[in-house]
Order: sequence, then structure tokens, then C-alpha cells
Amino acid sequence: MEKPLQQIIAENPYVPMPVEIVKIITEVETKDIKTFRLAFVNKEDEERFKYIPGQFAELSFYGKGESPIGIASSPTQKGYIEFTVQKAGVVTSALHEAEEGTLMGVRGPLGNSWPIEFLEGKNIVIVGGGFAFTTLRSLINYMIFEENRKRFGKITVVYGARSPGLLLYKDELESWAKRGDIDLNVTVDKGDATWKGREGFVPTVCKEVAPSKENAVTVICGPPIMIRFTLPVFFDLGFSKENIITSLEMRMKCGIGKCGRCNVGSKYVCKDGPVFSLAELDKLTKEY
Amino acid sequence: MEKKLLKKDKLSGIVKKMAADKTLYAPVQDEDNVLFKVLGPGVEPLVAFANTKNAPKKVFFPHSELLVKYTRSPKGMVFAAMPADAKDVVLFGVRPCDARSFALLDMLFDQEKWKDPYYIEKRKKSAVISLACVQPPYASCFCTSVDGSPTSTQGADILLTDLGESYLVEFLTPRGEGLAAYFGEATPADAGAEAKKKEIAEKSAAAIQSKIPGRAIKPILDVSFEHPFWDTIAGKCLACGTCTYMCPTCHCFDISDEIKGDDGVRIRNWDSCMFPLFTKETSGHNPRTSQKQRWRQRLMHKFKYYVDNFDAIACVGCGRCVMSCPVNIDIRKIVTDISKL
Repeated sequence: MEKPLQQIIAENPYVPMPVEIVKIITEVETKDIKTFRLAFVNKEDEERFKYIPGQFAELSFYGKGESPIGIASSPTQKGYIEFTVQKAGVVTSALHEAEEGTLMGVRGPLGNSWPIEFLEGKNIVIVGGGFAFTTLRSLINYMIFEENRKRFGKITVVYGARSPGLLLYKDELESWAKRGDIDLNVTVDKGDATWKGREGFVPTVCKEVAPSKENAVTVICGPPIMIRFTLPVFFDLGFSKENIITSLEMRMKCGIGKCGRCNVGSKYVCKDGPVFSLAELDKLTKEY
Repeated sequence: MEKKLLKKDKLSGIVKKMAADKTLYAPVQDEDNVLFKVLGPGVEPLVAFANTKNAPKKVFFPHSELLVKYTRSPKGMVFAAMPADAKDVVLFGVRPCDARSFALLDMLFDQEKWKDPYYIEKRKKSAVISLACVQPPYASCFCTSVDGSPTSTQGADILLTDLGESYLVEFLTPRGEGLAAYFGEATPADAGAEAKKKEIAEKSAAAIQSKIPGRAIKPILDVSFEHPFWDTIAGKCLACGTCTYMCPTCHCFDISDEIKGDDGVRIRNWDSCMFPLFTKETSGHNPRTSQKQRWRQRLMHKFKYYVDNFDAIACVGCGRCVMSCPVNIDIRKIVTDISKL
């Protein structure tokens, strides 16, 4: 006797929901970062997959296994979910070879999220570097969504990449730049012949932009080196550790705090994280 | 709950009757070892043994377990239905330390927010008949130092205690009472039997000579993550992972996919925090690059992190890791040394 799949999905957090790749966008000139737009095969799964910006999911690919990836779309975008994936390991390499129309699996949403309730009513400073911009993009699109925008104060974004060709979501960056309700600061380490925007490293740009600490929270994601040099800028601006929020990455398997792989001290990054404030991280061991 | 007395010579027949009706695991002699395995027809379940070499956790959390089945269609991955629910099983002759391991694993696998249906399903369909240790089985046993005892009922559905001529049969849970019909020949236990059990329990507990400050090191561990002590513990560790595979409470696992033609399975396998690859990320970054860090993780997980999360020590004091470590690393010594930091 066997159980029908839909019943199993409802009861079992290890069983992925079937999805179809409906769109693939190559994000960068090096072609190793692509955004995959996935649509649920079954309507009830779309209802079930209720997520908040900052959460992640396990992507399943035939014969390859699973890979935990942050959700790059915003829940305000209906009918699909998006993941921006760098080609790196077994699963992500297979995914990069896939074509639109391919069936695969998604398990989630997993993890906590950006602390939306905590962010409400405050000025939000988003700082992103390189490929780590994905769940920040989710948060930005969530906050600027028509019905949501008034729930948040001033939105300042500092987003940097090494070169113009490595910036993600170029069309969206352009449309955000045209809006009057985001202070968007896109920078590259080094421009090229066609680049008319800002040049400079993220920490320097943050110092120049100098967002006020008043009623403000910084949400920061990027390579460790960027984080290391950017945090002192925000400390100098007077931001407390409670008001600086980041997201951790660890090797994961189950995603639900069972397999014992991604703990930092007593916390599991998959289940208790991936989002932590610096104040929370201070209480954990430095093993990540 | 109900307590009965059963003449000792009746027990073997009862166990064999259960084994005929449903899948029953029991301690059996297997060449030089006593192993916990399915009791086959004509095989005698052991009652006089120290403990099984392998931990009975495998009944609920097998070495290798199917999680998901799928096939390949021309368009890609198609998830398949799964086999039906687990069957009823009986675990006979589980030592109280190992029965406690089930209670500890329940805390993790049966959490409020995330439930592990594979574990829970098997656990729910099982009955655990525990066999009290009337004498300390091994010199390496230290259950009394980690909240346990040779007559602990935690995690068990029935506890049998050898009173000399008879077993005291304590039906502890509805699941245990579900097996009461098999004990039809047992008679109601009197106050004398209870008193005798109490005496035996005290004697057995007192006979556990090996002591460690199991709970006492928690406040020390809270502030000792960076202590130089950790540099001294893992020097001879081979990272073989034997301690974690023998451990009744270790539950870390890996998930991997296997395919043959157009059919695929996703399985989970026991994994070990002792292995360098356990935490190695695709980027090459590894939060735990040394065996020192991995040993610290194993000890912290059992004596601090589990206490933080569940107010329980994730060690039952069975001593299997002490006996099986090929280079004689002894967790009892490490815990004792930590208490002196």
C-alpha cells in the first residue's frame, strides 16, 4: 500500500514539492550565476509554500541531491519563486545545465527570516556585496511593494560588485533607481568603459552615504571580507549590535535541525537561523 | 500502572510467541558478540548478558534509510509515492541505558516545530521491553552519572527486573499494556516483590563504580569554548567515527541520492561529526578544520548543547565509545578533566 504524494508532502518535511523551471536568467557576464524561476506543479503546494524574505529552501535535482539556496523572490510576487544560484557544487552545476521546462523539487520554506516585524516602522539600511544580494533583493522587493511601503521608513541600499558585469538584477536596479522612495547606491570596485556609476568598495561607500542610526536597522549580507570592513563603519555611525542583522551560511542537509551539521553552539543555522543579529552572534561560539 | 510477577522459565516462551506474531528484536549470540537483532525462529533471546555490542537505536533510526523515491521523465524529476507506514515491532531485552536513548532521541526527532516522520512512525508502532541491570554489566558503565540508573524506566514500555525466581513485570505505558495478553501466566505482584525490587535497584545503582560529573561540567563548558584544554584531547584521535556509530544517542546523518537508470532514491545514512568532510562547504571553507574542533563539538553537543536545548545530557553512560575506541580515548576522563578546569 502506498500513500499519495500530496498527502506525504503535507506530513513529511523531507519530501520536496514538484516544480517546473519556467524561466532562466543569466545574471552575470561570467555566466556562472543564474536566476531560476520555478512554478509549482500543484496549486496547493504554492499555497503551502508561504515564505518570508530571508528564508531558504532545498532545491532537488534528478540524481544529484539537494542544495540549500536563499529565496531571491519576494512573497509579493505571485505564481512563482526565484532562486539565484552560483554554479559551485554537484547540484548547482547540474542546475546550471538545465533548460526551461525541466521538472525538479523544492523543499521549504526553511529557516527563520529577516525580522519583518522588528524592521517595521524603522529606517532600513540594506548593505549587500556580490552574489550575497539574493535574499536582500527579496527583502527590498517586499518592502517597496505598494501595500507594504508605508510600513517601513527610509530605505537606503548600498550594493556593490567587483565589476559592472557582476551586478545581479540589473533591470531591477534600474527600475529602483527611478523610484523616489529608495536611496539606491550601486557601486563597483572597478568600472569599465561604459560604467557611469559609482566606483569604490562597499565599506567606503557606506561611510560616504553615512546613514543615520536614528530609528534605523542595517541588514547586511556579503563576502566575509566585505562584512569585516563594513561593520566598523556602522559601529562608527553609532549602530548597536542589536540593530545590525545578517545571515549565516553553513553546510546543511536536512534543513530542519535534525542532521546535526550546521550548528553554531546550541543553535542550528538551518532552523534557528540563518538570520541573526550581531548581538545574537556575539552569544554564539565563533565556529562558522 | 500494573505490576506482575512472572516465573523466569516462562519468559523465553513469551518472547518467542511475540516474535512469531510480529517483528521482534532481541539480544542474541552472534559468534563472539551479543547483538541486538531480529529474533529468528528457533533462536534463544538472551537475558544473561551485559549489553549488546550495537545500540538498539538502529530500529528507529537505521544506518541507511529511504527518504524519497523518484523517477526521471523526459522533463525531469518526478517524485513517487512512498511505501506504507511502519509495522508493529517489539524490542525485547533493551538495557535501561539504551531505553533512555529513545527518550533522548524523541526530544530531537519529535520536536514541536519540525517532526521527523520516519523516526516517529517507527517509534509510535513499537513497544520497548526493558531488562533492568541487576548487576553492573561492564566496568565502563556510568549511567548513574548522566541522569540514568540500572533500573531506569525512561523510554521503556515494560520493565522486567530479575528478582531471583521471578521477574517483576512493570507495565509502564499503554503501549506496554498492549502486550499484557502475552503475560497471561503472570500473577499480581505483592508488596514483597516491590520491596525486593527497591533493594535490588539500590544495590545495582551502588555497584556502578564509574562516576563522572555529568551535569556539573555544564557551567564550565558554557565559558570554556576557547580553553587551551581542547588542544590536549584529540591528539591521538584517528577520526574513525567508531564512537559515534556505537553511540545510542548520536543521530547525525547525511542525505544522498542514488540513481539507476530512470529510478532514483534519496537515502539518509549515519554520519559522524568526527569526519573532516562533515562540515566542509562547497567553497572549500570548513568551520571545523581540526580534530580538536570536532572532538570539542562531540563533547559540547552531548554535555552542553543538548542540555541548552532539551535540558538533557545526550549520553546514557553505556560505555560503548569507551570500549570501542581503537586508541582508548575515554569520554569519562575528558569530562572529569573538564570539571577540574
